[in-house]
Amino acid sequence: MGDNKTSRSHTRSSTSPCAHLRSAYHNCFNRWYSEKFVKGEWKKEECVSEWQKYRACLAEHLDDKHLSRFLEADTLVNVDPNNQSPYGPPHS
Amino acid sequence: MVRAYTQEYVYKHPWERVTSASWRKFVDPENKRILSHILDVDTLNRKLDPESGKLYTTRAITVHTPGPWFISKIIGQDICHCVESTVVDGQSRSMQLSSQNISLQKFVEVVEKIRYDPHPDNPNEWTICRQETSIRIKPLSALASMAEKVEQRCAERFVQNSAKGREVMERICKYLEAESRGISL
Repeated sequence: MGDNKTSRSHTRSSTSPCAHLRSAYHNCFNRWYSEKFVKGEWKKEECVSEWQKYRACLAEHLDDKHLSRFLEADTLVNVDPNNQSPYGPPHS
Repeated sequence: MVRAYTQEYVYKHPWERVTSASWRKFVDPENKRILSHILDVDTLNRKLDPESGKLYTTRAITVHTPGPWFISKIIGQDICHCVESTVVDGQSRSMQLSSQNISLQKFVEVVEKIRYDPHPDNPNEWTICRQETSIRIKPLSALASMAEKVEQRCAERFVQNSAKGREVMERICKYLEAESRGISL
């Protein structure tokens, strides 16, 4: 079962060249979210330069074709804005 | 055939803190050991609407395929790419996440929806989390003949993983609480 470990770790680390830029951005975003956004200060977006650097790196290294199309996508998938009731129509 | 599972959980922390923890859950390095099924998380897209206070995010999440070992044997790989879309409404204080696998779709479709809302009984201090997971094995796939068993095992794994997720969330909430006290003192 462990025979394909090498190929797997290769796939896994496809965006690892961006790891530093990624954590710089995520740290910045997390701080902005909990210190500003949730307090109603959402007029101004922050972490812009961190975001640009990280995204440029992603665009270069995200070679997986499944994922790269989401980089371009402007619209988002599968969140239904009308789904206000958490007790919506049952599935079963 | 579709199996759907719902879970509810109450965090004794305010919505602001719980949703902050949700962003940190897969990203903070100290959780990597517990959430070992999460291999990689990248933010692909982010849009803030400064008028309405809505924040839209798309992330790519790479996971170890949940379920028993023989699944990865059959489908020939054991990682799976998922896309997660999130809308946070800062005005009404709601967070909705929806994730779905985009690889291995020939075999299985897993959709997970999570909502975080202020708890109606104590909206400023508690948060209710509602999670709905649906698993569907594709009828003509190599897994179809044992679909029921596979779905069952997948489901068990999901339940285990969401318990781990809650544990991590609780820990981050505690940490954020201590941090906010430190700052306000």
